[in-house]
This record gives sequence, C-alpha cells and structure tokens, in this order.
Amino acid sequence: MSNNDALLEVENLCVEFGDRRGAVRAVDRISFEVEPGRTLGIVGESGCGKSTTSLAIMGLLPRPAGRITAGAIRLSGTELAGLPENRMRRIRGAEMSMIFQEPMTALNPVYTIGAQMSAVVRRHAGLSRRAARRRALEMLERVGIPLAQRRLAEYPHELSGGMRQRVMIAMALSCRPRLLIADEPTTALDVTTQAQVLEQIKALQRDFDTAVVLITHDLGVVAETCDEVVVMYCGRMVERAPVEALFSAPRHRYTEGLIQAIPKIRTRRLTRLPVVPGSVPDLSELPPGCCFAARCAHADTHCLRRQPALERMGPSRVACFHPADAEPVR
Amino acid sequence: MSLPVHDINPGADARLQPVRRPGGISPWSRAFDRLIGDRPAMAGLAIVTVFFVIALGVWFGWWGGKWAETGDGQWLPPSPEHWLGTTILGQDIFARAIFSTRTAFEIGLVVAAASTLLGALFGALSGYFAHTAIDGLVLWLKGVLDSIPFYLFVAAIAFALDGNPWAMHIAMIATFWTTTARLVRGEVIKLKSLEFVEAARAIGLHPLVILFRHIVPNTLHILLVQATIVFVAAIKSEVILSFLGLGVQDGVSWGLMIAESTSEVIAGHYMNFIAASGFLFALVMGFNLFADGLQDALDPKRSGR
Amino acid sequence: MTERMLEVHALARHFSVRGGILPRRRPVLRAVDGVSFEVGRGQTFGLVGESGCGKSTLGRSILRLLEPTRGRVVLDGAEITGLDSAALKRQRKDMQMIFQDPFASLSPRRTVRQMLQEPLALHVPGSPARRVARVRELLDIVGLGQSALDRYPHEFSGGQRQRIGIARALAVEPKLVVADEPVSALDVSVQSQVLNLLADLQTEFGLSFVFISHDLAVVQHISHFIGVMYLGKLVETAPVDRIYAMPAHPYTRALLDAVPVAGGTRRIRRRALDGEPPSPLNPPGGCPFHTRCPEAMPICSRRVPRTIELEEHGRSHQVRCHLHDPDISQ
Repeated sequence: MSNNDALLEVENLCVEFGDRRGAVRAVDRISFEVEPGRTLGIVGESGCGKSTTSLAIMGLLPRPAGRITAGAIRLSGTELAGLPENRMRRIRGAEMSMIFQEPMTALNPVYTIGAQMSAVVRRHAGLSRRAARRRALEMLERVGIPLAQRRLAEYPHELSGGMRQRVMIAMALSCRPRLLIADEPTTALDVTTQAQVLEQIKALQRDFDTAVVLITHDLGVVAETCDEVVVMYCGRMVERAPVEALFSAPRHRYTEGLIQAIPKIRTRRLTRLPVVPGSVPDLSELPPGCCFAARCAHADTHCLRRQPALERMGPSRVACFHPADAEPVR
Repeated sequence: MSLPVHDINPGADARLQPVRRPGGISPWSRAFDRLIGDRPAMAGLAIVTVFFVIALGVWFGWWGGKWAETGDGQWLPPSPEHWLGTTILGQDIFARAIFSTRTAFEIGLVVAAASTLLGALFGALSGYFAHTAIDGLVLWLKGVLDSIPFYLFVAAIAFALDGNPWAMHIAMIATFWTTTARLVRGEVIKLKSLEFVEAARAIGLHPLVILFRHIVPNTLHILLVQATIVFVAAIKSEVILSFLGLGVQDGVSWGLMIAESTSEVIAGHYMNFIAASGFLFALVMGFNLFADGLQDALDPKRSGR
Repeated sequence: MTERMLEVHALARHFSVRGGILPRRRPVLRAVDGVSFEVGRGQTFGLVGESGCGKSTLGRSILRLLEPTRGRVVLDGAEITGLDSAALKRQRKDMQMIFQDPFASLSPRRTVRQMLQEPLALHVPGSPARRVARVRELLDIVGLGQSALDRYPHEFSGGQRQRIGIARALAVEPKLVVADEPVSALDVSVQSQVLNLLADLQTEFGLSFVFISHDLAVVQHISHFIGVMYLGKLVETAPVDRIYAMPAHPYTRALLDAVPVAGGTRRIRRRALDGEPPSPLNPPGGCPFHTRCPEAMPICSRRVPRTIELEEHGRSHQVRCHLHDPDISQ
C-alpha cells in the first residue's frame, strides 16, 4: 500500500460524528494516495463523507463532535492524525491549504485583499512586508485578475464571485503548498466562470507541481481535471480508478448509474432520462450489507447481508459483488 | 460542507422504504425532546413549578391567607410558629412572602402575555409591510416609547390614571412590547423573502393570511423566549417600582416587603429583607435557567434542516 | 406551431436601486428588459442564462409575483398584466410556480396535508372529504406515499420535498407552471428522477412549463424551445434541437462550450469565455455581450443588434446578433 512517491497518503481513515445519542461513521475506511502534480477527485452526493474527508486531512473537523477514530493521514511521511493543533497550524497554509465552495465566507470582510494575502505569506513564508506585498501582487496576476494592483486595496465585497474564488486560489497557493484541497471550488460559480477557474487551478498546479485533492459532486468537473477518482457513497469508498477507466468502464453499479444519470448535453434529445432510483440512506441507519443494495438493480440477498471489500479489477478497485462487465465474484 | 446527519428521514421514495413513525414529528416535539434532555433547564422549570404551585395555593386560599393578620409579638425571630419571624406589626413574614408570590405571578403573567401579543402584532405588521406607512408608524411609536425613561413613564401613567392599581401593568406593557416587536420585525423580514412565502402568494392567499398563518408561526420561538424574559423583567421591575411607591397599591409584594425593610435593616431586623429577596432570587434564577434552555431548544439553527 | 398558452410581449422589470447617502439620481437596474416569447400548450420553454441575467425576475414577473414595469403577459388568451388584485387572485389558479430551494419553499411548521389543502380551499369548491381525496391523489401523482400526509417538511429529503412542492403547484390544475431551477439544489442521482416526473406530468395533464435553469444540460431533455438570456435580454430563442446543434449567438456557443463533459473526449481545450458578465446596473452600450464576445466587430459596441429571424421549416429561430444581420455582416 505504501507508495514512496506519494505526497499524501490516507490509509483506512475513519471519522465519526457523535452526540449524546450515539455516533455515526461519516467516513469509513478510506484509503488513497496523491503524488505531486497529480489531481485526485473525490466524488459523491451530499452526505457521502467527501467534505468530512477533506476536513479530516486539514485537521479542521468540527470539535468536539467529529473525530478521527482510526487510520492514518501522512503528508510526505509525517503523520497528521493526532498531531497537536499548534503543529497543524504551521502545516496548514504552508504545506497544504484549502479552498472552499463559498469564497465570501472564507474571506474576512473587514480587511483588504492585499492585507489578507500578505498576512498569510508573512506568517508562513517569513517574508518581509514589502516582499509579501510583491508576492501577493504576483499571485493575483497569475490567477488572471485584471488590474491586480488596484484589487489589493479592495475589500472582498467589491469583487464578484468568480474574482473572489480566484483570490482564494491565489491566497491558497501563495506559500507554494505542496498539497491543495479544493472543496467544491466551482459549485457556486457560473459555467463560464467555472471553466476559467478550473483552467487557472490546473495552470498553477503545473507551475508549482502541487498535488490537488478536488472534492466535487460534478462528474463533468472530475472528467476534465482529475487523474484519479475516488467515488464515495455513505462514507465508504465504492470505487477508485484512473479517470479514463472510471468513465470508459465504470465498475461499481453506483458509479455506473451516476454517470448515466448526470444531466448532460446529448446528441439526441431523450424523453426520459436514466435514473438511479431512490435516494441516499441515512448514515445513522445503514444496512448491514452493501449500502447501495437498496437502490441497485443487480443486488441479491448476498448484497443485503455482507459488505463487499475493495477488490482490484483491471486498473480499478471496486467494492461490489456484482461489478459491471465482469464474471460474478464468488 | 456535507456534514453527516442531514435529514431525519432522507429515505428513498416513501414508497420504497418502510415508514418509521406513524404520525408527523412536529418541530415543536423535536424542541420538546431537546428541552427534556437539558438538566439546568429542567431544574429551572422545577423551581418555577414550585413557585407556581405556591401561587395557585394562594389563589385557592390553601395558604398565605393570614398575610395581613397582626399578632402581638413584633419583630419575632424565626420560630416553628413563624418560620421567618414577624414584622413590626407582628405579621408572619413567611405568609407575606408566600402571598407575594401570587402578586408576582399575576404581574408577570399579565405583562408577559399582553406585551408579547402586542409585540407580535406590531412586529409582524411592521415587518411584513416594511418601509411602508404602517412600518413607519410602528417604528415611530417604538422610538418614542423607548426614549422615555421607564420610571418617569410609570410615574406619569400612575399620575394620569390617578392611582389606578393597573398603572404599573400598563406602563410595563407599553414599554416591554418594543423589544419583542423589534425581534419579530427582523425575523418576519427575513422569513418574508423565503420561497414558501412566495409560494403562498403564488397560490393567491391574502397578505394577512400569509402573515398570520405562514410567517408568524415561525416566530413563535422568539415569542416564547421573549415572554419568559419579559416575565422576569416584570417581576424585577415590580420590586423597584413598589419600593419607590409606584408599584403594588393594595396587598403585599416582595417589593413592598423590601420597602418596609429599609428602616428595619438599620435596626438589625433582616428577615423581611432576606425573605423577599430570597424568594425573588430563587424565582428569577429558575426562570432564567428555563429561558436559556428554551432558547437553545427552540433555536431553528439547531433543529437540523 | 401548436396552440399558444403563454404570450410574453416586451416584458420589462426595472428596479430602482437604493443606496448612497445623497439623494442623487437613483440608478435603474434593468433586470428584465423587453423580453418576448411564446409557449405552446403542453410545451416547455427552457430559459437559460448565468446568475444575475434576470431569468428568475422574468419568471416571477410573468406570474406577477413581481409587478412588471412594462409589457404584456397573456395566458390562454386572457391578459394577466393589468388585472386588479381580485381578478389576479382568481387567475392564480391557472398559473403556479415550483421553486428552487426545497428547504425554503415549504412552510416549516405546516404538515403536507395542510400545505396541499390550502390552494384547494381557496380555488376549488368542494367538501372537505373531497379535498382530502384530492390531496391523496396528488401525493400519488408525484410518487409520494400516503404516509407523507401528516408529516412535516423536515422529515423529508430534498428530492421528496421538491415532489411536495410540485404537488402543491399542481393541486389547482394550473395551465402554466413556472419552474425556477427546480433541480439545481438536488443531488445528481435525484435530479433526473424529478426531471422525468415533470415530463410525465406534462404529458399527462397537458401542462405548459417555463423552465428556468443555469444549466443547458438540464433543460435539453425537458424543453421544446430554448431561450438564452444575457443581461436582461433574450439573445437567442430556438427549437431545442436547433440550438444544441446549430447555436447562432456567440454567447450560446460559449455556454455550450463551457458545460463540462463527463466521459467522452476528455480535456479538449475549451474556448473559455473571458471575464464575467458586466454589472446590469451599468450595461455596456451596443450589444451587451460585445465586451466578452470572441467575434465582436467594431459595430457591436455602437449599435444594439436587432432581432434576426433565421427561420427554418417554418420554425422560429431568433437571434440578436450583428453576425447574422444580412445588412451588416456582408
């Protein structure tokens, strides 16, 4: 499992959220690695645990409700799970940073863009005030913000949504982190802006050889930006595959259904769209067997009773008793 | 961010999944469940209940009836006969404190109910018709009332009503509704922009029906919490007003007891003072604990989506 | 063309913007600025555009949830604009709306039964028993079980809530339904379920839809005609198969290019559109799109393009672009 080239290694990560009435396992034995310069996509629907996974990596799980109960998170060999907060703070921003879905809430409304960007650089890269300012300006120009010099003196509310997200990207990458976690970075943006922002992330990734973990619900975004994909469902990893394999030969029945069901522009207009019946079960009452069984056309009694383990199938790994295009396992 | 526990029942189509509970779980019953689990709030409720039973007992004449009876021994120390001793007139201090509980509840309930009703009505109207003449009128009224010093206002009303025993109630109601109205107004403005209100308009409902059927029920959490806060504020103000001679005109109250005690404390007779402030403290404390718990339990942000 | 159900003539909705301390001239925001189109009986008009283009304002102005500043709306031969409030209230039976946010569009403290009975009590005479029977029928129509009857909105998932919203809209048997982004808040696997439901309901009850979406992929399968909006104006209207195969306006082409493609050919260089839509408070002169248009000509910044009819086989295809104006392009 261990991969010497990997920058980030996540191994059997489990995260639970608990209150007085008991705990739910939001992330259940997730494993993946990301190498420098590569992009890993984590896809799934709301409540599948993709955002929780990213917060766990950043050490930003809401306390005290959320906690890592098992597994390891290693950033270039350093174990992050269980690291004291003061050491995490030094790593966050410097070695890994994160951009969020809603950039407005992630920027402080009372400081100028320049002040916020310089503060980050000065703290983590130890640059002088002037050098920090220069770095901020350079980063803004790199993410394609016109009139960057003027933007430095502006406040977050003076920028449009797309501009704010660019500022977030510039800020996140200003310390040249080796890992960038992007949690639905384009979901709040329009399609034309989304295309620009994704383009920008890719360009910066090439320049700095950054590893990117992209969290999204949008398979279209995955197809265009990721090298490898983890598909999550109910906190579990149901499939992990190189992006070409995922789309050309999806193995898990959920992945297959999801790819068919996404609204996409087709050459022929359909009167009925393919659907995945039903909806996602509640995490607090998951069935004993495969969590997708209730919605799966291929499920049998075996699926209802036992949890499938992740098994290799060509370039993919899949947790399914009846994967697509395969002889039945058993 | 997708935190795990999201829906009570995101089951598939209701058809595909067995239904867990037969009836609907209203937002109220969820809040109630939370409140039951809150120990300080329950302790507060227990204290308030004890006081309420005391007040009820006074109403029904089970106890506290002898609060005005004078005896022969003045300033007696606590004894099995007079648990908290007697006053200068030989009245039983315990009986007076008990009877004052009734007075406190009368004032608290009347003022809380009336000012919450007024606040809800004015707040709802000015929120729904924000930036119109109605809103302007309510805001002007609120501004004027808020800017008059409270005790001066009570004195003015007491004077205007020529010693009417309700002067204090009226003054409190007239000043306490403004906070409730301000909170309700803000909430209504927020709710008014939500799609369910637009849906009600799309159906063709009358604006007042939309306001009182769809919007105001969603401010009940504010009203309940405000009512408890006003209740406490009213009985605390009563003490001060009575102390100043602007409050309770007949009967007895904790405020009157404390007023009586001013001259006594110098002479070393503390029981009147201790009894009244002890009772007041316990009831206010109980109510505040309960109000905090209530606020947490009703907080829409906590009820999940 | 099939029988007309909805005609919108030169509809406009302007907002005067509050702001500034001094009472200077109030800027006017032309959210909808002279929009005309028609919808046939049993047909769907898909209205597409980026956020802030005025599509939601247009939808609400058609239903007079917002008062139009100018223009006419005719529903099934009866003029909606200019009705007094009593007549409008009666007319609301014929036109209903489905909302975007399934969490905000249902009264939190009312049961499904109460919500569905409300429009019936107002518009459909009948005994309470008949009303309950109708409510049960509605639940059946939208695919919810009878057990939903006495439940509160928070007990349902997003997809189920959207079904309740649809049932509420259908309760009074409207002729026209304006659906404002009805699936964009839903999980991917649930989106197509709801789209299919809407298509089925249209066939069954002969409904006309105005379907508002930011996503060209979503409207393709449900729409018969598509209108593309930019800064308050319709820049192109065409039959659905035409617009996806032969988009005429450069903005439509850019929108189509920007939609991420899941699977298929990966990482094709898209012609990402530069910049973002200008502020509608201060729209550029001439063609509003000329600031971002890859094919802009000198005349585009000077003259407002007229509507060009690119009729084919008697089906209307209109575009507002100088490129197609025979007087200008040659």
